[in-house]
Amino acid sequence: MNTEQEQTVETARSPFSEAFEMFRQNHLAVAGLILLVLIILAGLFGPYLYVADPFDMVWAPFSPPGEEGYLLGTDYLGRDLLAMLIHGARVSILIGLSAAFLTVFIGITVGALAGFYRGITEEILMRITEFFQVLPTLLFSMVIVALFGASLPMITLAIGLVSWPSVARITRAEFLRIRELEYVTAARACGVSNAKLIFKVILPNALPPIIVQAALMVGSAILFEAGLSFLGLTDPNVVSWGQIIGSNREYILDASFTVTVPGLAIFITVLAISLVGDGLNDALNPKLRQR
Amino acid sequence: MTDKKPRPLLKVENLTVRFPVKRGGLFSKKAYLYAVDDISFEVARGETLAIVGESGSGKSTAALAIARLVEAHSGSVMLGDDDFLSLKDEALRQARAQVQFIFQDPYASLNPRLRAEAVVREPLDSLGTGNPNDRQATIDELFKAVGLRPEQQRLFPHQFSGGQRQRIGVARALATRPELIICDEPVSALDVAVQAQILNLLRKLQKDFDLTYLFISHDLGVVQHMCDSVAVMYMGKIVEHADRLSLFNNPLHPYTKALLSAVPSVDKKRRLETKRILIPGDPPDPLSPPKGCRFANRCPAAQEQCTQSQPLLRHMKTGHSVACHRVSDDGVAPL
Repeated sequence: MNTEQEQTVETARSPFSEAFEMFRQNHLAVAGLILLVLIILAGLFGPYLYVADPFDMVWAPFSPPGEEGYLLGTDYLGRDLLAMLIHGARVSILIGLSAAFLTVFIGITVGALAGFYRGITEEILMRITEFFQVLPTLLFSMVIVALFGASLPMITLAIGLVSWPSVARITRAEFLRIRELEYVTAARACGVSNAKLIFKVILPNALPPIIVQAALMVGSAILFEAGLSFLGLTDPNVVSWGQIIGSNREYILDASFTVTVPGLAIFITVLAISLVGDGLNDALNPKLRQR
Repeated sequence: MTDKKPRPLLKVENLTVRFPVKRGGLFSKKAYLYAVDDISFEVARGETLAIVGESGSGKSTAALAIARLVEAHSGSVMLGDDDFLSLKDEALRQARAQVQFIFQDPYASLNPRLRAEAVVREPLDSLGTGNPNDRQATIDELFKAVGLRPEQQRLFPHQFSGGQRQRIGVARALATRPELIICDEPVSALDVAVQAQILNLLRKLQKDFDLTYLFISHDLGVVQHMCDSVAVMYMGKIVEHADRLSLFNNPLHPYTKALLSAVPSVDKKRRLETKRILIPGDPPDPLSPPKGCRFANRCPAAQEQCTQSQPLLRHMKTGHSVACHRVSDDGVAPL
């Protein structure tokens, strides 16, 4: 009797735990996740393990990787590239995550209200969304950064403000679909309030595509930040990968490694995020799950 | 069937539901589709009224409007002494405990992210029925009442079969101890063997919990099994309303007659006896219903007057109500 009960409880798996199982069987996605965790760990603990000031001039400029014990060489000012890379990981990932969070926060709020209430609310919110969608993204974020200063919060805000429309549209589309399903009607018949309908009934079921989008958003935010830094729109007091590329871009022919190394870091990180995002997409897609 | 006439639990009067339809350009006139057009009926406490009709006849919309899940345009829905349609916000939310709904598709009507126990708990929590500490006991009882094992409470909807899912739906509808349960085609998504189980369960619960059902269906076999009286809808109107026996034995409206003649029978003798009445064509465009009887263009008994004026629902001496010009006052059918 006891074992039988345990069995039922053991098989009582939530849809999310099934998705996790699917994800685990996707080797590429797991590889991406491991890579991503390594990069995040490097950003978190690297500065304590490899103690070096990224702004210190330690050796002659443009010394190739490996020389004098500087594993990745030095940049045009003779700064240790490895130290810069490790410190830059922090900034890049921090911006990637916080910009993606901001994007998802604005996107879900706007999309959920538009999709749930329909009518005039939807009209107004979706016109605003379209307004932000048709703005030239790079130009708009450059204006924000130029106007309010190139600090990390401002850069995050700039990235968030230009990328939320896609999340808003996905959220609205999911809400439009789910609000017509019978279990939402059933919840209304049970007297569930609108706020609870939005956040407890519809949103959890709308999450899978939003999670995928959010994961990919982290990657594109890192790229976006790199683009802004490359153009010089960045806080000069912090190192980020894009900034390393930007400040060394004039020497790309003489010392290509100064640009290649941070470029590879961005490439590998975004690739890892995409793999995870893809894996999540497969795992959370119920049509694939029904084999 | 009883001699004394108890006060009706549910009294629907002149219920109309319409949907705005966008057609054409920016300045075109706003058109309305009358999904439910001025229907009235009563259901006595403890009885079951079936509403039958083809797809698009407005039966489901009528059910949703009575439960305040679709906004009605006009009319009244009296539940005991209260007008359910005029309730607002918090009063409406509280009153929902009295009217519960069983949905057609058991695969769509349960939130896939909630465990079975949470599905049944939802109405208890949001309507605040009973003491919070007793809720688990209530859920246990409900699971037992609908024939599910207690350990199944921990499972998620996708781990149940269609019949079991519908049992969860029934348990959820029972949770707040409602007086009226509206069943919107509760078995049409299930296979026949499971249909019978669920129907028997509903009948048993009706006795145990003293329930009144409003039963929406297109399956006359199911209706015959379940109901005390039957209302037939066609294009948003009730065309015939009678108790079960007189409707099935002596259908008056040509549409009802055609519907009944379409019910397949395994009995060869009976099959030969019943003349199959065919109704050709499709229902007319619901956006511009005809001026006369809405069934006239398909009715084998239609005459001049049927296309001219709309027949009203007339009460016959036998308790039958029918909306047809061709039925004589003493209740003789045209077909």
